[in-house]
Amino acid sequence: MEELLRMEHISKRFGNFYANQDINFSVAKGEVHTLLGENGAGKSTLMNILIGLYQPTEGKIFLNGQEVRIDSPSQAVKLGIGMVHQHFMLVEAMTVFDNIILGDKHAKGVFIDRAARRKEIEALSEKYGLDVQLDKLITDISVGEQQRTEILKALYHGAELLILDEPSAALTDIEVEGLFAIMHKLIGEGKSIIFISHKMREVLRISDRITILRLGKVVGTVNRADTDGQKLANLMIGKELTESQYEKIDASGAEVVAELDHVDFNKESKHSGLSDLSLKIHAGEIVGVAGVDGNGQTQLAQLITGVLAPDAGEVHLKGKRVAVFDPNGFIEHGVCHVPEDRNLQGLIGDMSIAENLVLKDADDARFSKGRGLLLKKRAIGDYARRMAEKYDVRCTSVDQSVRSLSGGNQQKVILARELENDPALLVMAHPTRGLDIGATSFVHEQMIGARERGVGILLISADFDEILEMSDRIVVCFEGGIMGEFSGKNPPVEEISLAMTGK
Amino acid sequence: MEKLKKAFGACLVPLLSILLAFLIGGIIMAALGADPFVAVKFLFQGAFGTKAGIGTTLTKATPLMFTALCACFAYKCGVFNLGGEGQFLMGSMAAFLTCYFTGLTGFAGIVLALLAGALAGGIWGMIPGVLKITRGQNEMIISIMLNYVATLLMGVIYTSWIRDASVPQTPAIDEAVHLPRIVSGMRFTWGLVIAIAVGLILYYVLFWTNAGFRLRAVGYNMTASRFNGIPVGRYMLASFIVSGAIAGLGGSAELLGTQFRLINGFGAGYGFDGVAMALIGQLHPIATMLVALFFAVLRVGSTTMQAATGVPTSVSDIIQALVIVFSVAGMALTKLPEFEAWKNRVFGKRKEGAA
Amino acid sequence: MDWVSSLLLATVRLAIPVLLISLAELYGQRAGMVNIGLEGLAAIGALVGFLVCYITGSNWLGLLCGALAGIAVNMIYAFSTITLCANHTVYGMAINIFAPALASFIYRVYFGTGSDLKQIVTMSSVAIPGLKDIPIIGGLLFDQSPMVYLTLLFVVFTAVFFGRTRAGLSYKSVGEHPQAAATLGINVIGVKYLACVICGALSGIGGAYLTTCYSSTYTDGIVAGRGFIALAAVIFGRWSAGGILLACLFFGFCDALQIKLQVSGIAIPYQFFQMIPYLATVLVLSLIGAKQAGPRANGQPYRREQR
Repeated sequence: MEELLRMEHISKRFGNFYANQDINFSVAKGEVHTLLGENGAGKSTLMNILIGLYQPTEGKIFLNGQEVRIDSPSQAVKLGIGMVHQHFMLVEAMTVFDNIILGDKHAKGVFIDRAARRKEIEALSEKYGLDVQLDKLITDISVGEQQRTEILKALYHGAELLILDEPSAALTDIEVEGLFAIMHKLIGEGKSIIFISHKMREVLRISDRITILRLGKVVGTVNRADTDGQKLANLMIGKELTESQYEKIDASGAEVVAELDHVDFNKESKHSGLSDLSLKIHAGEIVGVAGVDGNGQTQLAQLITGVLAPDAGEVHLKGKRVAVFDPNGFIEHGVCHVPEDRNLQGLIGDMSIAENLVLKDADDARFSKGRGLLLKKRAIGDYARRMAEKYDVRCTSVDQSVRSLSGGNQQKVILARELENDPALLVMAHPTRGLDIGATSFVHEQMIGARERGVGILLISADFDEILEMSDRIVVCFEGGIMGEFSGKNPPVEEISLAMTGK
Repeated sequence: MEKLKKAFGACLVPLLSILLAFLIGGIIMAALGADPFVAVKFLFQGAFGTKAGIGTTLTKATPLMFTALCACFAYKCGVFNLGGEGQFLMGSMAAFLTCYFTGLTGFAGIVLALLAGALAGGIWGMIPGVLKITRGQNEMIISIMLNYVATLLMGVIYTSWIRDASVPQTPAIDEAVHLPRIVSGMRFTWGLVIAIAVGLILYYVLFWTNAGFRLRAVGYNMTASRFNGIPVGRYMLASFIVSGAIAGLGGSAELLGTQFRLINGFGAGYGFDGVAMALIGQLHPIATMLVALFFAVLRVGSTTMQAATGVPTSVSDIIQALVIVFSVAGMALTKLPEFEAWKNRVFGKRKEGAA
Repeated sequence: MDWVSSLLLATVRLAIPVLLISLAELYGQRAGMVNIGLEGLAAIGALVGFLVCYITGSNWLGLLCGALAGIAVNMIYAFSTITLCANHTVYGMAINIFAPALASFIYRVYFGTGSDLKQIVTMSSVAIPGLKDIPIIGGLLFDQSPMVYLTLLFVVFTAVFFGRTRAGLSYKSVGEHPQAAATLGINVIGVKYLACVICGALSGIGGAYLTTCYSSTYTDGIVAGRGFIALAAVIFGRWSAGGILLACLFFGFCDALQIKLQVSGIAIPYQFFQMIPYLATVLVLSLIGAKQAGPRANGQPYRREQR
């Protein structure tokens, strides 16, 4: 097949960290070429170079055999490269139509010729089966339709090479089928696709070739026909994919540390509400909440930590009914929270590591005299240094601002703060998102340690493998409700996947 | 060591800004036909040259310290209270009315008037606070509007209600409730001591107590503070009230110590000056007080400078304004990753834990 | 009847400066630039407009130079917030402190510290023949200073620009979702700088209007909070040109009303009337509540290679 794109010896350095190192990658016309790799393997960086958002530190890019310099996104658009980002680049306050024609280069004139543009878009939409409602606001359409809008937008801007970044992450199974159908049509018309994913099943179904990245480097490029899931997984994580290494336990006899009883919150919304949700968490178990992002998990985590108050239903902590919903009351009842957005919700970025570690209990006698009237800074510093060592926080000094730490070390600071409080219930939302393998396994070890000490843990994660690996019990969240409950010991993977799509 | 370096780094930007501002100020002076070195010499001579000069400088610094600390405390909690001027004026009105109507004299009268001032300022600061917390409204716009209302209210008092004969001003308060001077021959009063005490208390509260620690946390990151169990609304409201009370106390101290009567132009501009000083002082109460002192030096010294060299006093306003423009930009610059990279290249330092 | 029509006339005349400054903020915020330094920009515009008009005798030249002065000062803001990523609010305040000081300084240097009030001739009204004789609205809409016509035309232009043009759509996307705009080849940084140029120019004209078309003199503090009322008007007008026009007419009405009441001979200290526009602003803001409807990426720094 004729080659469309070739990237040669691409490297990208941030500070003294290589996000990409000496990467060679090529795409043929009419091909689906998958980029496979874990979080932080360098897939997004490579694609951001391709679309002109980043400049490579080293390396060359060839398009149709010609060397090109892609120094801006508009240059990439001009060269026929379009990307559908994992977090859609859609302006929510505008309509689908406005989003598609935004930044339009080929139309002439000052005013928007709506009738003409509409005709062009409708033609494209028909050709590729991209069904969208042009006059709806982005906020009012489903995730799948938003994605179709993104693809339509890229095609409208003349994309020959489409980059789809984790396109199935937020979709239901049916929507994924629709997406695959569209992808087939696209390559049938001679377009090329770079497909980014870490879902083995999908990768094996749709790809022509697969390039595996690990820690910023290419591990290998293989043809679909020559490989299988096990081989790919081994390449991707660099070790054999094994059964869960942790023992799964049955804690159903233990004390119930938290219970949600027919809880409603913002019930009408399927993506950011909860309806009639009941859930028990026992001491000494890890309950994993599986589900596609945006099925009420965020609200579940915030409700059980007191950030949100339910519209109906009851919440019990250690058998006592909660009357007032406010995080402080929950903290006093031993509820700890590793929130999904570390920088926004978990840490005070401009404060030091030490200050963040004692954020919740600076009025404790260990850290201050007279219940907060005079802080014992030396004691706080000593404590922080002990914690930095115990939780392996890599820093030059505990007076360094938390913002300057890497994601993994930031997460360790949060873990230290939450676990040292001897929680009864620990709520963890996407605790390893964006972390490297070392930090991830550290977080997992700490979770198991806490479970051993009798902490009840609610683990919310979009990473299905993590749920399978860690959970003693698995519940599936779908459109704000619980779709099913499964044992974590020999979990029925197929059945759980089905439940995640609402079946 | 880390802390020392941090402190040095924090001082560097304001100091360089002041230097740069003086440089441009000097060019302006030269353009106006004066020798900048002579002018600056007179400027500092005016402020420090004589005992009376020092006294005047300290007197001038006192109200500035109050409004600067008002802004400093509010911003530390992430609350943009621009109403320092209105709160200052409400304080001075309350103090004046207390003296005028109760007729109390001596220590009791002074204390009562000061307290009334703090209370009035606190209430005036509470209004934008309540509107922000309950209605989610923009506290900057509301506090500014209340500044105008307070100024006009003071106008009502001195032009209509308690007017001193034909002149649009109120009669002076009784001499028995004047704040006493500390050193004879120097104009500054116990008001200065109160200002410094307030600054030291703020420093202690912000950096050595749990309440201040949490207040700063709220200022840096409201969401994370809420997630970590800090009652954000309560802290914000408290910071509105306390900062208003500081400004109100300043207003009453200024009335009892220096002005003695309400008159057109009383306290004008102190609110925004306070904001400027707090920002240059990087929201550190003690640094903020030093900046207030520096502003006072410029103001007092510029009069001498004008008399001696003919350079108009408003050059000092320009210098002040340039300091704020440079220092805020400078601080933003030092936070850029490019600057960090440049610094590491030049000084060859390597930072751990950065990725 | 006469009282009412002269009140309405004053309403329009007083709404114009707030309207210009509000439109300045609208152009800023549509590109994500929350500029609270409008008060300062208007102050420098007022001074430069006055000064140029005083020297040349041309009101139009005064307005033009007021715009240029607004742009010049706003470029400091633009550089600091766009390139250096300084906090918009903090830097806006710096402008609010810097620009009036500069204006006051220039006035003193040029005119000396003497107390005699320097005056210029304000722009005269231009009646549109025929239309001005329509009862009530004739005088209101068709017997005004040309600046009134121009400003109202500009409102229409703004509504069309943001609602109907391709450029307006791209411009808006920068304030809503700069990353998305960037991936479509829109020059985010460029649009932001452009926004600051427009914002500076309009604020400067708004300030210059006060001296060259309204009051005929320059005094410190002549802007009198209009920069902040304009911020409120943008919120009140829900970030649309038409809404802002209505909001500004409301504030203009409050202002006109207080002036009318002051001379009405009612035995209440006049300062209470003067409070009306300020209290109205507080009231309006409290009533419309907390619903945030502004551009999504308002006030957020934009960096290209962000990790």
